[in-house]
Amino acid sequence: MIYYLPTIYSNQDGYEQLGALAKAAQGLSANRLELSFSRVAFFDANMAAPLGVVLSRIANDLNAVEIVDVPVMVERILRKNGFLTHYGYQRLEDTNRTTMPFRRLQLSDEGLFADYVNRQLRGKGIPRMSAGLGRVFKKKVFEVFQNAVIHSASELGVFVCGQFFPQKQRLDLTIADAGIGIRDKVRQFFRTDKISSVAAIRWALQDQNTTKPGPQPGGLGLKFLHEFVCLNKGRIQIASRFGFYELNKGKDSFAKMDADMPGTSVTIEINTGDAAQYCLASEVTPESVF
Amino acid sequence: MSEPITVKVFDIVGGPLCVSAEDGQRLHDKIVPLLRDGKKVELSFEQVDTLISAFLNAAIGQLYGEFPEDRIRELLSVKDMEQDDLAILQRVVENAKTYFKEPKKFDQAWKEEVGDEE
Repeated sequence: MIYYLPTIYSNQDGYEQLGALAKAAQGLSANRLELSFSRVAFFDANMAAPLGVVLSRIANDLNAVEIVDVPVMVERILRKNGFLTHYGYQRLEDTNRTTMPFRRLQLSDEGLFADYVNRQLRGKGIPRMSAGLGRVFKKKVFEVFQNAVIHSASELGVFVCGQFFPQKQRLDLTIADAGIGIRDKVRQFFRTDKISSVAAIRWALQDQNTTKPGPQPGGLGLKFLHEFVCLNKGRIQIASRFGFYELNKGKDSFAKMDADMPGTSVTIEINTGDAAQYCLASEVTPESVF
Repeated sequence: MSEPITVKVFDIVGGPLCVSAEDGQRLHDKIVPLLRDGKKVELSFEQVDTLISAFLNAAIGQLYGEFPEDRIRELLSVKDMEQDDLAILQRVVENAKTYFKEPKKFDQAWKEEVGDEE
């Protein structure tokens, strides 16, 4: 089949479009997908991660995936970040070092993810980013990856991609998994199929709520991320199945999507120009902590 | 009182990154037998560069489901932690105490926003 991808921004519409691609390819097996970019006027680089999720699922059904007719400007960024090299294109050197390369990792590749974070965050707004901010941001990124490891059951792995915008002092990073999504995880936990994607995301963002099995408490990772991004005046987007959530300018918004975006994608956008001293936020002593 | 046994987290994890629940579980499994024997344990975070809540939930948070709070306070201590890591640990501890006191039940509020329209 031939599918014409439209312009993809990092927003609800972008995820709806990727969900529509997933739906169109449903049932395609041992066949061929020609994904035409001829109608793509713009592609937010971090969205290569959720596109990677959708295409990996299509390829997993034994389909050959070919990406064609990529406009020059879009091709340049998607070759620089390495996404298109997965589809037979030559890599283009990222001389300005503004991309955070597209990577596909297995859930067990925690060490490789750590290498990725340590290598890629160096020089992306850091040292322009204050040491405290860089340190806190790194922790949030690991928390999001760990959420995927613990909750997603993504056999096809985790897809990571980002972009640094030096002029705007913004860094966007998306971590997307091809797993069961927040809705099904919450449904399993409460043993009901009467929970919508939006309700499930809303629940997962509340204090102390976790679907983690066994004796470990949890439910802090997303809360910490939320607090941090509010302070930093950054942005969070979560797209999971039919649910979309965004934190922008300190405001939460939830929306039901028309299309089913597989797995869970989390985008963190941080304001790299933030000079706040995150390290000095509290005065806890080792003696008082327990 | 006997001197506490110092457990160097860096050595148990095998590096400066305490970023996985699996590694946290390994640390937990090392210290639980000591606590059961009534031995004092001091966790040293020297050389630890990055520490997240998922690690601490597994390593320390779940202890609150296994030992009374005052027993943990008596036997467990930490040192060589950065201030922001201490703040995370404090939240993990508070969260664990609540978690084991009030396990989450199906909330009636669900009914207002649930639906299988998907």
